[in-house]
Amino acid sequence: MSEMKKIKNLKEFSTSADRFEGANLLCPGCAHSIIVREVLNATNDDLVLAASTGCLEVCTAVYPYTSWDASWIHIGFENGSTAVAGAEAMYKALKTKGRLKQPDRNPKFVAFGGDGASYDIGFQWISGCMERNHDMMYVVLDNEVYANTGGQRSSSTPIGSSATTTPAGSISYGETRNKKDMMGIMAAHNIPYAAQVAPNKWKDMVKKIQKGFATEGAVFINAVSPCTTEWKFDPKDTMHLTDLATDSLVFPLYEVIDGHELNITYRPKEKDIVPVEEYLAAQGRFKHLFKDQYKYLIKEWQERVDANWAYLNRREEARV
Amino acid sequence: MANTGWDEFEIGAMLRTFEGEAGDIAATLQEDRKYTENSSFSASVADWRIEKPIFAKDYCIDCQFCWIYCPDISIISRDKKMIGIDMDHCKGCGICVEVCPTNPKSLLMFPELADEETEIAQWPAKEKKEK
Repeated sequence: MSEMKKIKNLKEFSTSADRFEGANLLCPGCAHSIIVREVLNATNDDLVLAASTGCLEVCTAVYPYTSWDASWIHIGFENGSTAVAGAEAMYKALKTKGRLKQPDRNPKFVAFGGDGASYDIGFQWISGCMERNHDMMYVVLDNEVYANTGGQRSSSTPIGSSATTTPAGSISYGETRNKKDMMGIMAAHNIPYAAQVAPNKWKDMVKKIQKGFATEGAVFINAVSPCTTEWKFDPKDTMHLTDLATDSLVFPLYEVIDGHELNITYRPKEKDIVPVEEYLAAQGRFKHLFKDQYKYLIKEWQERVDANWAYLNRREEARV
Repeated sequence: MANTGWDEFEIGAMLRTFEGEAGDIAATLQEDRKYTENSSFSASVADWRIEKPIFAKDYCIDCQFCWIYCPDISIISRDKKMIGIDMDHCKGCGICVEVCPTNPKSLLMFPELADEETEIAQWPAKEKKEK
């Protein structure tokens, strides 16, 4: 076991040498690369990375360029998780047989996928990886839409969001189904560690990532990634949107250990909690909800978020 | 790079980011790395920008918020100090300006053709807090 990288404060963290390069083709203000940087900089160990098809993959591996300074592979839309699981299985086998060329190194296995690749297309494969408990980490960059292909709805798209396949208009308020509870499903695999993170709370995020790296077994991370193009806000407001998501409790930050021990890791003070309305108002994809016809949906949103928060609090207390 | 044919790359499109050994890359800063022309570090997205950030060092408190929240690895921090902006990789999103906590801000956005020295000379004064 190699030593954990010490990150006490942001100044110390800023001495990290990035292993993700600029001049990738992600949109200006995209949160994907902020998340990727926080994950990669959390360790100094070697990395074995994969990405499922999605914004991150197409933008960081534009032939003949690569933006990755670590071994990185892309295969298909669905199998970022199993590509890494396979590498991990091979690593374990070679280790057992004593055939590793550098046995003292301690590589970390990480797969990235968007919400389309994780919630929908690669769902079965991730489930398999979690069930077999590979020593790997799966990171979802959850921007709640198929942003790469033009903004079709995914099963992560929340109610009321206008996507290209669920457009809002005079007879429709956009997406009608609620967001899939991926964290709940993954935690139900009884994996050692599952956590929800947001890039604006970098300390919380790095702590969870390091905890994930230290954990032996499968780790699932769900990271909120505001999308300037599909959520329709100004690129400079990415961090503001992430703040709204965590402070309105639309995207609560918590972790689940061994499938039952739930800890809420970020609890905004009562006076700092922002109404969900503010979060919705900041995004163009919810613009139509402020018409009289659909205003009742905002109230429903608030009730749903409150109910979810109460549920998480009860789970934390009950330890079940 | 633009003149390299499709059949001149390795099979499976395996791209190497570095020349020679890269065993200790996590401890090697960008200026000490031997990038190949396949690394996007060798490319530039400077022509994406309409506005560019200008950094006024005098007001900076080295909090590193801009470093952590920069999506394009364009804030150069060395020895816990913010020392400048990598203009080849900055796309001009403006996140660094938004997260800058100083008063006045030590990073501001200006039109791409603005002159750095002139703008720093007429940097806005400290804003008074509204009571």
